[in-house]
Amino acid sequence: MAVTVTIPTALRQYAGGHASITLPAGSVGQILATLREQYPQLGKQLYNDQGALRSFVNVYVGDEDIRHLQGVETHVADGETVSIIPAIAGGVMVLHGERCTVNVRYGWKECCYAASHALQ
Amino acid sequence: MIILTGDVHHAIARHAEEIYPNECVGLLLGRIAGMRTEVEDVFPAPNRWTAEVGLTPTDADHSQRDRFYLDPRDYLRADRAANARGLDVVGCYHSHPDHPAVPSPRDLTGAQAIGSGSRFVFLIQSVHRGHAAELTAWLLVDDGARFVAEEMR
Repeated sequence: MAVTVTIPTALRQYAGGHASITLPAGSVGQILATLREQYPQLGKQLYNDQGALRSFVNVYVGDEDIRHLQGVETHVADGETVSIIPAIAGGVMVLHGERCTVNVRYGWKECCYAASHALQ
Repeated sequence: MIILTGDVHHAIARHAEEIYPNECVGLLLGRIAGMRTEVEDVFPAPNRWTAEVGLTPTDADHSQRDRFYLDPRDYLRADRAANARGLDVVGCYHSHPDHPAVPSPRDLTGAQAIGSGSRFVFLIQSVHRGHAAELTAWLLVDDGARFVAEEMR
């Protein structure tokens, strides 16, 4: 009775370099708890200080987000796969409340300077 | 060192120009070997940003012209496509329409799931008046506190 947990590339450094880990079947919460025990550094990436899954960490069972199932109570049957998937988002810098474009208030060079300055 | 092989550079530029004036997003498929991240292919994804997936309430004032969101389902599809070819998802890319190819504070916030210290690379494609301009590479460091530029060829 085992399930496979896939680890995203960026987090494998916290999981002994493994791309996937085989763990006993159970609920998602039980499986992730076992994962945390085995790899505490990975646990810190997945859970916040209050012990809740971080908002930017997505957990899927098969093709379904556990948020649309029973959350951490979702049962994972023998042979199924649990995927840990990072959320990635972003967007360009807003300069003084205006979007930074060459066509409006700020020129391209000013944009480059401001963006570089903000990065430091 | 980031190594872009084959048509990767042009594929990102084409995607960014096609989606302009919106921001494009996609994943990078390849291999990480020591300090080298080799990108062999791209996996273009839809920009699924909406106000509902915004990072703060003020995001309602924005659009896909200055925001992007990579849906986890698309990440999962990319991961499976990579694995089928013996590759991994080794990074992501997005465009900055009419904006320099440097990470924004919002990019930093939206990258926190990646954790720092890995060779997972963030590529940014600047698009200037509809034409692809500079492409830059960045790694997340200092416990996710900042990006540093990474050499790329």
